[in-house]
Amino acid sequence: MTYIIEARNMNKKVMLGKGHEIHILKDVNLEIEEGEFVSVMGASGSGKTTLLYNISGMDRLTSGSVKFNGREIGSLKEEELAKIRLKSMGFIFHDINLLKNLSLIDNIMFPALVSTEANKNSVNHKAKKLMKMTGIDKLANHNINQGSGGQLQRAGICRALINDPDIIFGDEPTGALDSKSTEEIMSILGEINKSGTTIMLVTHDVKVAAKTERILFMVDGNIVSHKKMRKYDAQQNDSREREEDLLKWLVENGF
Amino acid sequence: MFLKIVKNDFIRNKISTISVLLFITMAVILATSAVNNVTTLIQSMAKLEERAVPADIAQMHTGEFDQAEIDRFTLQYRDHIAMQETMILQNVDGSNIHFSQNQTLAGTIQDISFVVQNRKFDFILNLDNEKLDVKEGFVAVPIYFMEQHDLKIGDTITVKSGGYEKEFVISDYARDFEMNSSLTSSKRFVINHNDFHEMFVIGPGEMEYLIEFKLNKNGDADTVQTAYIEAGLPANGPSIRGKMFLLFNAMSDIAVAMVIILISILLLIIAFLCIRLTFLASIDEDLREIGVMKAMGISKEDIKKVYLNKYRAISLIAGIIGYLLSLATVNLLNGNIKLYISSDLSGSLNYLLSLIAPLLVYFIIVMYCKRVLKRIDKISAVEALRRDSIEHGKNGKHHFPLIKNKFFSINIYMGLVDVWKRFKLYRLLFVIFIVCTFIVILPVNIFNTMTSPEFSTYMGIGKQDMRIDLRRTDRITEDFIKLQQELENDNDIEKFATYVTSSYPVKNEEGSWNYMNIEIGDFSAFPLNYLEGRGPEREGEISLSFANAAKDGLNKQVGDEVTVRVGGREQSLTVTGIYQDITNGGKTAKANANLGVNEKAVLWYIVSMDMVDGVNIPAKMDYYQNAYSTAQVNDIKEYTQQTLGNIINQMGTVVIGGIAIAIIIAVLITALFLRMLLSKDISQIAIMRSVGLTLKQINHQYMAGTMMVLVVGIILGVVIANLLGEFLVSMAMSSMGAAKIEFVHIVWQTWLLCPLALITTVGWTIFMSCKVAVKDDLSVVLRS
Ligand SMILES: Nc1ncnc2c1ncn2[C@@H]1O[C@H](COP(=O)(O)OP(=O)(O)O)[C@@H](O)[C@H]1O
Ligand SMILES: [Mg+2]
Repeated sequence: MTYIIEARNMNKKVMLGKGHEIHILKDVNLEIEEGEFVSVMGASGSGKTTLLYNISGMDRLTSGSVKFNGREIGSLKEEELAKIRLKSMGFIFHDINLLKNLSLIDNIMFPALVSTEANKNSVNHKAKKLMKMTGIDKLANHNINQGSGGQLQRAGICRALINDPDIIFGDEPTGALDSKSTEEIMSILGEINKSGTTIMLVTHDVKVAAKTERILFMVDGNIVSHKKMRKYDAQQNDSREREEDLLKWLVENGF
Repeated sequence: MFLKIVKNDFIRNKISTISVLLFITMAVILATSAVNNVTTLIQSMAKLEERAVPADIAQMHTGEFDQAEIDRFTLQYRDHIAMQETMILQNVDGSNIHFSQNQTLAGTIQDISFVVQNRKFDFILNLDNEKLDVKEGFVAVPIYFMEQHDLKIGDTITVKSGGYEKEFVISDYARDFEMNSSLTSSKRFVINHNDFHEMFVIGPGEMEYLIEFKLNKNGDADTVQTAYIEAGLPANGPSIRGKMFLLFNAMSDIAVAMVIILISILLLIIAFLCIRLTFLASIDEDLREIGVMKAMGISKEDIKKVYLNKYRAISLIAGIIGYLLSLATVNLLNGNIKLYISSDLSGSLNYLLSLIAPLLVYFIIVMYCKRVLKRIDKISAVEALRRDSIEHGKNGKHHFPLIKNKFFSINIYMGLVDVWKRFKLYRLLFVIFIVCTFIVILPVNIFNTMTSPEFSTYMGIGKQDMRIDLRRTDRITEDFIKLQQELENDNDIEKFATYVTSSYPVKNEEGSWNYMNIEIGDFSAFPLNYLEGRGPEREGEISLSFANAAKDGLNKQVGDEVTVRVGGREQSLTVTGIYQDITNGGKTAKANANLGVNEKAVLWYIVSMDMVDGVNIPAKMDYYQNAYSTAQVNDIKEYTQQTLGNIINQMGTVVIGGIAIAIIIAVLITALFLRMLLSKDISQIAIMRSVGLTLKQINHQYMAGTMMVLVVGIILGVVIANLLGEFLVSMAMSSMGAAKIEFVHIVWQTWLLCPLALITTVGWTIFMSCKVAVKDDLSVVLRS
């Protein structure tokens, strides 16, 4: 079994003003297997976002270690971390976070064009393919203020996919979307996962979590329990059961 | 309570507040100093005039002279004339005046004469503005020479010529209202009556007479002058009006004051831009608060007052500091006045009047702030919640698809696109760079133009290697003939042309006769640049200087006729061209040689020449200077520089000051701007980092954008400085006789050195400021 993420004794403390310190992550341990589809749940303020940012090297841990593909990321330089983010990781944000000066398709191509060896035409071709897959190919040359939330989030997913990452992180990617868009986004993510990309999502939504194969439950800076499920398959028409099962488990854990 | 808000804002926008304070203070210092200096100038000029009692009409004359005729004339016109006095000038060539080890005054373009103090008016004063009373064996030397040759009281000068040799001890500076300026081409040395007499009897001097009139309060200078000429009284030489003396005295100080006021206006503009910049930044930060305040029902006026009070406080502080500092800086400016006009600058009127500058600045700033604050009116509570929706991703603005980018690395491309998309923001920086380039280039251009050989264009001289001036002496005609023969046989001379200037009666607009100096000769040999038309190539043609052709001169245009009296016969000449000339009060004329010399009134001869390539010009100059000791041999550059005198030095100071000010401003504002921009863009930067860009790549984007603004700003600044600058300078100079100044570009300075200086200093600032120092966790910015 190979782990894409292997985290040990993660601690994150933040200074609040003079001398006042808060302890957000408390000795968290976590492994994620290659190809896994994981979601993180928990009350607001329990440390889910903090966990995601520290695993992905966007924040620096106070203590502990995180190995990404077997490589300790805590000791890497800023530039090496940036390179890992560029080549091997994708991010999808709650706020979508697209660049304002670029059109949708340029936002998607941007991470691919940053590396010098990029071939513009094949990048462009790939971006168009991704947009077609996510159903936003008509909006390619639109400004980012001309699309709906769901459309923009699909562009965000395309951007995350453009460099063929090993893992995609999502911090409540469907939090601002209506239920129809949420459904569509989750089916896209399911497809991506099927093709071998590891995905880790933070979510509040039971319907979203029920479509993943492992759910972590966080309370006050700790992962208090896991729930393992079968990989979701739309053909099986069992989403209802999965949701009820999950909800029961969550209630048991004090959700 | 307002005080507390102002104080908070001060702390929040420390750097920008300090810069605004700095720029306003600098503007106040400069403007106050300039106003103070001009007031001092006017005041001390009036005092000097009171003591020196300059003539209202001064007529130079060489040749036969009968005082009795003039006395009769004076009596006849006693309604107009209060006093008359004739001063005898003994002209001594500069090469005959020795000082220190073995230096002489040879090579000066000034006519030197020895005189005794007048009895009735036109007094020559010492530095305390007291009438000079020079003892036997002593001499008072004009300030111009004291300065130029670094002479001190107690030094000696020796006048040696033929059998005459006498040593004089310098007892005083001679402050000479009529002939102080380097623009007046005569200088008077004052000696004791007995020494003068001795020099008169055996001495080297060529006699010249200065026939001067002081008019009554109601006396009319035109009437007297016309009557004087009509009466056929001695008039072999130029005549000068009292107003001219004033102008010459004040000119260099006025010119410097104008440049300083221009710079202070530019500084104010920069302060405006800074205010706008800080305001845009802080209104962005305060948008929510403003929205909330509005929702709470606090009136717009009260909200505005909070911001306005900040700038009121800044202007007040800047006004006070600037005014106080100007008390020190004004001493850097009034050196010229102190020396030439009045050593005692005590008095308080100038300090009182110069309060106008800070007050004016205060009101201008407050007014401008009120205008900028109108933006608050437009902010609605709704808009307050959707911040910066205004600038980014504007619809309708042209797209620059990444796929179309063929030439730049993607990060440079992103930087350039950002400038295009948010030009409203970058515009501030852009204007600053243009203004700073302007402040550097304009003085450099003026300086280069004044010190270049081409400046001769504005002095009514064609381009030439060397010129020999023969001035009024008894031997002038023989010397002239001999010189011509010698030049004819000198193989080193490629070509030469001779010009004779004499005074002719010319009919003015009212139909009466005025004397005018007309130079005749072959003007095709060393052609001038004509503003309009061409030179007087054929018989019966004349060209006029700009000031002469203007309304207050003869009021003629190309094609008009001018009537001149030569040898008792009236001749009608056609005006063929108009040229620029700032010499001799700006009013000169050039006519075809066929007009004929007015033998009785020859003023001077000029020989212009070009050397064969490779001839050592300085050596040639030495040779002719020695061979013709009474002549003045100059190359054109030296000639123009001596005429412009200390204006060039003062301009040099302005050049250095301009460069320093421009660089300080550019560096400060760039740092300020980038700080604001980076903090404004903090979330966009975080997004790029999350995607996998390194800090270095992001820095490159901002560097590319600002560097492009810098480079384009500099290019535009240079172009504007050249075009607008020429226009401004021409306007200022047109009263002196030069209506269309074309700058001399020293290309490597205007297009290379100055831009390079700006690019390196500002580029370095950009480099340092763009270092996005983000040690923070990305989640701080990106988390939802
Ligand atoms: N940089 C920070 N400064 C101060 N407090 C922080 C910071 N980052 C996180 N926190 C606090 O840590 C806790 C966990 O935050 P977060 O990881 O965002 O929780 P979640 O995503 O589960 O809602 C919250 O109480 C939050 O206020
Ligand atoms: Mg969160």
